[in-house]
Amino acid sequence: MEHNQNLQLPVSVVGVTDVNRLDRELVAIDEFLHQGAIREPGTAMKLPKTSKLFDELISTNGLNLLQEADRSALRNFLRSIQTNAPRLHISFSADPSPLFLQRLMNYLREKINPKVLVQVGLQPNIGAGCVVRSTNKVFDLSLREDFRKKRGLLMQHIQKLEAHDTKQEVQA
Amino acid sequence: MDIFGLAAVLIGIVAATMAFIWLALRVSNGASSGRDPNASHLDQAEKDVEHIFNDEFREELRNRGRLHFEKIIGENAMFLQQDLRLTTSQLNDFMKTEITKKLQDEFSKYEESITDAKQMAIESITKTQEAIEEQRQMMGQQLLQEIENEKSRMVKRFEENLGDIVNHYVLAAIGNQIDLNDQLDYIIADIEANKEVIIQDLSDGA
Repeated sequence: MEHNQNLQLPVSVVGVTDVNRLDRELVAIDEFLHQGAIREPGTAMKLPKTSKLFDELISTNGLNLLQEADRSALRNFLRSIQTNAPRLHISFSADPSPLFLQRLMNYLREKINPKVLVQVGLQPNIGAGCVVRSTNKVFDLSLREDFRKKRGLLMQHIQKLEAHDTKQEVQA
Repeated sequence: MDIFGLAAVLIGIVAATMAFIWLALRVSNGASSGRDPNASHLDQAEKDVEHIFNDEFREELRNRGRLHFEKIIGENAMFLQQDLRLTTSQLNDFMKTEITKKLQDEFSKYEESITDAKQMAIESITKTQEAIEEQRQMMGQQLLQEIENEKSRMVKRFEENLGDIVNHYVLAAIGNQIDLNDQLDYIIADIEANKEVIIQDLSDGA
């Protein structure tokens, strides 16, 4: 249980889909090892392939999957993440790059919650920025909302320009 | 001479004729109708009368009377003819005058009616024009009001949606040049500004 609490999600694990995939890979490895234990020696078995994400998870947490305890701890950790991890839905104007997501997840895991998962959405009309949706709230951090908030400033500039144009027309 | 004069002349002629006839009848009947007791005197007188007024004398008187009567008749006929001509002429003049007067009256009435009708038509047209002008002014004012309202509505909508308009313009103008990687610091800064609320909401759960 203590070991379970010390496990960390790498920043490349972004959403619940990734966690589900990691869980499936862990189940495959678990089954492979279990079958290897009960089969006769010398029987050909196909080693399950693991993803880069899974390898990163293992290396980040320094786990040895040959150990049943580590596998069990990782399984519990992933199940715990699936059920209890806080989730954020963040929409961008374009598809974010992996590097962008990695940096963002780094910040979120560090400042918000180390287990937070993010579901990425797409809203091309927001211009720039993002829209963050937490469990109960929506935070519109887009350029569109920024323009809306600064509507008074825009109007002030437009009125200034209009007054300037009128003055020039009068002078002409 | 008017019509009353002509009638008086005719009545005079007829009266003279009647008097002459009555006298002639009276003279002819005078001898046979006498029943005087002094018949002898009367007979004597009759004989004297017959002697004086014999047939030749009577014939002479009759002829003279006839001539006189014819003369009077001729004169009267001439007068009558003159009077008739004069009367006809006067009647023509009278008729002409009356007809002219009547026609003038009718024409003046007709002209008056036409003038009234014309006045009424002018008044009606004037009223219609005034009503049209009033309607036009009212419609003009309504149109101006509508234009003003529409303008205000459009300005209000523009002001309300100014953020979206500018955002749309920015997107259309430089949307393809905005790189998401360049926005990371801006996004992180915004999330950082709302960090506490987000953490609180996540910890509170659903």
